[in-house]
Amino acid sequence: MKSYTLPPKPEKSLFKKLKAILIVVILAAIYVWTFLGIDIDWARAIDRIANNFARVIPNLFSPDWSATADVSLSILETVLIAFAGSLMAAILAIPLGFLAAQNMTGSRILTTIGKWILSAVRAFPDIILAILFVVAVGPNAFAGVLAIAIGSTGMLGKLYSEVIESIDMKVVEAMEANGANKIQILFYAVIPQIIPEFLSYAIYRFEVDIRASSILGIVGAGGIGTMIIFAANNRNWNEMGLILLAIIIVVTIIDFISARIRRKIV
Amino acid sequence: MIQFKDVGLVYPNGTEGLKNVNVTINDGEFVVIVGLSGAGKSTFIRSINRLVTPTKGSLLVDNEDILSYRSGELRKLRTKVGMIFQNYNLVKRSNVLKNVLAGRLGHTGTLRSILNLYKKEDVGLAYESLQRVNISEKIYNRADELSGGQQQRVSIARVLTQKPGYILADEPVASLDPPTSHQVMSYLKKINKEDNITTIVNLHFIDMAMEYADRIIGMRAGEVVFDGPVSEVNEKTFEEIYGRSIREDDLRGGADES
Repeated sequence: MKSYTLPPKPEKSLFKKLKAILIVVILAAIYVWTFLGIDIDWARAIDRIANNFARVIPNLFSPDWSATADVSLSILETVLIAFAGSLMAAILAIPLGFLAAQNMTGSRILTTIGKWILSAVRAFPDIILAILFVVAVGPNAFAGVLAIAIGSTGMLGKLYSEVIESIDMKVVEAMEANGANKIQILFYAVIPQIIPEFLSYAIYRFEVDIRASSILGIVGAGGIGTMIIFAANNRNWNEMGLILLAIIIVVTIIDFISARIRRKIV
Repeated sequence: MIQFKDVGLVYPNGTEGLKNVNVTINDGEFVVIVGLSGAGKSTFIRSINRLVTPTKGSLLVDNEDILSYRSGELRKLRTKVGMIFQNYNLVKRSNVLKNVLAGRLGHTGTLRSILNLYKKEDVGLAYESLQRVNISEKIYNRADELSGGQQQRVSIARVLTQKPGYILADEPVASLDPPTSHQVMSYLKKINKEDNITTIVNLHFIDMAMEYADRIIGMRAGEVVFDGPVSEVNEKTFEEIYGRSIREDDLRGGADES
């Protein structure tokens, strides 16, 4: 049999080894400390969980069909909130995306400002934005639309700027070399390269926003969330079952359609 | 006419792209620049339409120093100096016609071009250019559906549509196989003769340079080390330009196949 010469093991200094051990010890200590700090009467907790499950779960599986009309309207509103919100975001994100793309502005300062704006917008969870807008414009669907729009703008702008940064700049150079001005370059070299990805991300974001908008009603921003919170407060688990079923169906359908469309356009 | 007068170029990282270049290129000439990679061929060619800017000397195109040009004048210069690239640089997702019409951008108003409102004669010119390089049947195909040779012909059609006085070609055949390379070079030569467009081509294949050039300029380390009509050139000249003996891979071959 042939004998192999194994490559030498990477050299590890004593310091590195000690560091690795130290990290493991500290992590273990944190976990132990955390679990010791939990003061739970396990027997009672398990008992209650079992009890609640027995009461709630069967009801969830026998939906209250009499609420179908209300739930349908509500879920339609949810879809429309998501659609209006992501459409607004898809448009608002375009200028921000360009601003945050290094190869478009050609200026480090502008790009940094763009990236900062997008990060700042992204920092808010949708639900916090919804609370803000409910306070600002009242507890209705419009608050939900605005919350979705702003929340999605941050993420879409970031994705757009990455798409723009990944285009083939040689095409831009070719257009420059035949005397095209900046706006012509934008329309002839940049936009054809980015449109399919932009659309694809916008549709994907719509998919995400459907889920987001079904939760926004909890803080009063319209859509199915409002029904969820009422059903939960009234312990109306049969209605809750129908709501969950409706959400599952709608989200699945939208996911399916969105995947189809996105595969077509790229 | 293009005149390089004592042109030098130092890149920001300190590399000297061009050193004391003094060259005059007359109207209607077909000039081939040869040299190893890194010899300054691309820098030379890209100086002429100011994709790079020389840092020293003066560069005259039609008796005007282009080194002082700013955006407006620069676009005017680039409208009359067409360029062909090694990687064709077509918009892959746009169709052939739209790519070729992009050659008219310098002649077309911004609003008109954004709304795709090209004049009839521009569309006619684009179609005619495609016919001249024998690819008009692909007019509505997307650029990424074409082979490399076809894409390069489309990029020649784009330059033709621009109606330039000069054509610069930066390694136009480096990504193509031998028969296709000869086809592309033949089209460039034909256009040069028929339209009397001054053509400057970068090549590193010796046999192709000999076959198509009227005049050869040899470069090494940013300097022009040879400049003369093709009749004065032999293998010895190339060995001097390259600073080493000629090897198999300096030849493209395949002249008989096309």
